Amino acid sequence: MSTTLVIDSSTNKTIVALVSDGKLLFSASHDDPLAHGEVLPKLVAKALSVSNEIESVVVGMGPGPFTGLRAGIAFAQSFAFARDLNLVGVCGLDAIAAGKSDPEFLISVDARRKEVFYARYKDGARIGEPGVAQPITLAPFNLPIYGDQTNDFPDPLAMAALAKTKSHTEKPIYIRRPDAQPLPAGVKFRALTQLDLVEIFAIEKAAYGKEAWSMAQLKEEIAGKERFYLIAEVDQKVVGYGGAVKLADICDVLTLTVDESHRRKGIGRELLRRVLDWTRNQDCDAVMLEVRVGNEEAMPLYSSFGFIEISRRANYYGPGKTAIVMRKELR
Amino acid sequence: MSSDALVLGIETSCDETAVGIVSGRKLLANVISSSVEEHARFGGVIPEIASRAHLEAMQSVIKQALKDANVSLKDIDALAVTAGPGLIGALIVGTSAAEGLALGLGKPLYGVNHLSAHIAVDSLDSDHKLDPCIALLVSGGHSSILQVNDLTSDVKTLGSTVDDAAGEAFDKVARILGLPFPGGPWIDKESANGNPTALTFPRSFTLPKDLEKHQYDFSFSGVKTAVARLMENTPSQNRADVAASFQEAVVDVLLIKSLAAAKNSGIEHLIIAGGVAANSRLRQLAQERCDLAKINLRIPPTKLCTDNGAMVAALGSLAVAAGLPPSATGLSAESSSGISRPIWA
Ligand SMILES: [Zn+2]
Repeated sequence: MSTTLVIDSSTNKTIVALVSDGKLLFSASHDDPLAHGEVLPKLVAKALSVSNEIESVVVGMGPGPFTGLRAGIAFAQSFAFARDLNLVGVCGLDAIAAGKSDPEFLISVDARRKEVFYARYKDGARIGEPGVAQPITLAPFNLPIYGDQTNDFPDPLAMAALAKTKSHTEKPIYIRRPDAQPLPAGVKFRALTQLDLVEIFAIEKAAYGKEAWSMAQLKEEIAGKERFYLIAEVDQKVVGYGGAVKLADICDVLTLTVDESHRRKGIGRELLRRVLDWTRNQDCDAVMLEVRVGNEEAMPLYSSFGFIEISRRANYYGPGKTAIVMRKELR
Repeated sequence: MSSDALVLGIETSCDETAVGIVSGRKLLANVISSSVEEHARFGGVIPEIASRAHLEAMQSVIKQALKDANVSLKDIDALAVTAGPGLIGALIVGTSAAEGLALGLGKPLYGVNHLSAHIAVDSLDSDHKLDPCIALLVSGGHSSILQVNDLTSDVKTLGSTVDDAAGEAFDKVARILGLPFPGGPWIDKESANGNPTALTFPRSFTLPKDLEKHQYDFSFSGVKTAVARLMENTPSQNRADVAASFQEAVVDVLLIKSLAAAKNSGIEHLIIAGGVAANSRLRQLAQERCDLAKINLRIPPTKLCTDNGAMVAALGSLAVAAGLPPSATGLSAESSSGISRPIWA
């Protein structure tokens, strides 16, 4: 009898099982998207109290949210090394697909940032590599979709069985692509002038309240040198503005604001794209910007342009208001 | 377990994947794989890149440390790992790897505080009394003054930075001066050719009115901004003079506060640890001022001052020697844990 320790941390569920000759000796899971690191050792300790005679280790290599995924892989690698055991990595989506009998279907699991990891299966086999997409883009496939949404998670028996086939994976499956969106219709973009100040100030005030720049600050700001400001207009009315400044070898995106009633139309995205076009010609190393904690909805936009969170600054926007600093390379 | 227990320590709180092995207070191995070159392209540490690199390097770093120490994994008596503070995604790679080893081997695991571990290197390859002491901990990630009553059970923070860490200020000023990342060693080098009194930069929180609230706290954003303004307005400034004067301002404040902490607590030992402890001007001025104040100064060897695994193993080993119970299975890594607990419960 040979016992396999099976571990998967690629979904919100941390899964641990012992599989022996195609049967479950032990199986446990815990649902918490942020606790894989803490939960996994506890579940494995429980498993070991059932049987301490482990002959091999199988681990899910993803795709899945990175931090949880890495907890499972790091643990499995160390455990296997400590006991001098063979370690096999398998694709978690394949282990969800294994129980499905439809001729063709999709498997998708939460990838955070409003996206899912997915793969397509036909006649029991995966078609191509797993991908990442917004859930809405999977609808045109017109296929049944299984995954965490339908309460389907990687099946430990399937993982142990997959480990015996040739579909192994040595490395974590990390996938993400930047998303692109069409231009907003009916919106004009042009350079900001002193004449726009009154309209801008109104938007600024509505968006930031007490922390808004004052009229005097705005005026001084746009008059400064090595700056680029532009506005978005709908029906000759200002609906958004954005700007950046060049400071030595770094450009800083100073503001990106869209009037409440015109948000989620891609205006911010286009403003940012144009501001970034300007920064590209400033002979700088990188562009940086700050996002207020609590305004994380802006982060997927910045991420999709290649900004990466590099640090957090406590009390940046006043007491208790942390800023997330993001950076994008220009060279 | 005997007092010369064989302890393997894992450190992944920032951008170094590091494993150290000690036997009691004797250093046997200290292996570091750094992703600093990747981060240099970004001018700072990128959490996602660091975490990926930790997972990639972890197993080979563990194996190399065992090889260097000339011990087998089966001989290890206990494991230790940094459980905080640090980048959360990076910490979890370390704690998960350590838990895997601990459960695989059936050996105890100690989750340790990264800040305490920086001070614990002072125990290595020597048998002097370790505590009580005042510790100045300065690096790219931290700038704190700690009062160490007992390294494994009673360490408190007297003060810390309210904005940038000292090392960060070095990085940013280096960037302004057109020097590479990480900035510390380059500012040090550049300063050697400059006049530290050429320019006067602000020394934050040293005026009587600030001392009331921030007696042992630091702020480095003022000096950083002053350098940026100066270079913006007069780009032709002598770069070496700017570097030397900036370095003098930072070092001066670090030492004013550390020596005040020693004086006010009546503790006669000062330890300087963390990456910035490698700064030559800090070492020189610290020695001069400690001599004057009759304070016993200790600065661990430079390679043990930056983040490493030996410091984690060293603190784990002190915990074993003190008879402390190991941490419970399933360590919870904490990115912003202070120093209320040197060893995780
Ligand atoms: Zn450190």
